Amino acid sequence: MDERLYDMIFICRPATPEEEIDKLLATLEHTVEERAGKVEKKEKWGARKMAYRVHRHREGYYVLLVLRATQGDMVHELERRLKVSDIVIKYMTVRLDEDMKRQKRLAQRREKKASRRPRAGGRTHGHGGGEQPAAAAAQAQQ
Amino acid sequence: MADETQKETHPEQPRSPEPRPQDQPRAAEAAPAPAPRPAESRPPEGGRPPREGRGGEGRGGEGRGPREGGAGAGGAREGGKRGRRGFYRKKKVCRFCVDRVDYIDYKKPEQLMTFIQERGKIMPRRITGTCSRHQRWLAEAIKRARNIALMPFGGAR
Repeated sequence: MDERLYDMIFICRPATPEEEIDKLLATLEHTVEERAGKVEKKEKWGARKMAYRVHRHREGYYVLLVLRATQGDMVHELERRLKVSDIVIKYMTVRLDEDMKRQKRLAQRREKKASRRPRAGGRTHGHGGGEQPAAAAAQAQQ
Repeated sequence: MADETQKETHPEQPRSPEPRPQDQPRAAEAAPAPAPRPAESRPPEGGRPPREGRGGEGRGGEGRGPREGGAGAGGAREGGKRGRRGFYRKKKVCRFCVDRVDYIDYKKPEQLMTFIQERGKIMPRRITGTCSRHQRWLAEAIKRARNIALMPFGGAR
């Protein structure tokens, strides 16, 4: 099965001690390893203000995980764990591999275009530049 | 975009009913590229007698008032200028296309904040000038950010 890339963000209560969050992270990582996944990135953004109140909290401790999954039920299990955890007030998982694929494709296309441009001869200078090579080619034919 | 042309042509409607059906399909075609619109809307204004033209402009200006206010709050892109020959608009460019953005990250709310209104609404394309593709990505990113409380759903509490 193909690999999938996910962003998993969860928000903990602002008052939770750091150890609890680390403990939760450890269990999550354990599940990921169990299901043959990989933790690409682990970021603790720390407490930051939320845009709206969640469970009467104005602040939240944000944690971001970037995961690579091969088994479909990995995200399921992780979300279940976040759901039952008392310290987590909000979580979200976003599948990213398709966006990344698109991004790569577009970048490649642009690169190709950029490498083609110098050969076209002064194309970047507008219409006047573009016409000159054409005129030169016509003269060469004659 | 189609909205705007309708509004602009509306005052002219009773006097010259023909331009409207012509304009509408063209507006639909040119939807992804906002650039040609001003050039198109100019000729009919110039063709009309001056008295009529002035009347239409006056009413159009009143209708446009609130929308320009919205632009000022966000991008300050829309600087409507009115010369002697009629109304024309500065060509708007998609900011994401200029920066060659391939992916709009929902984890950077500071950047997305410039594309929402005070009450949290996503800014329409006709004001920011974003191209359709980037507007789609932008909307997606804003909605994701809202979901995880990085951005507001409904403005300041």
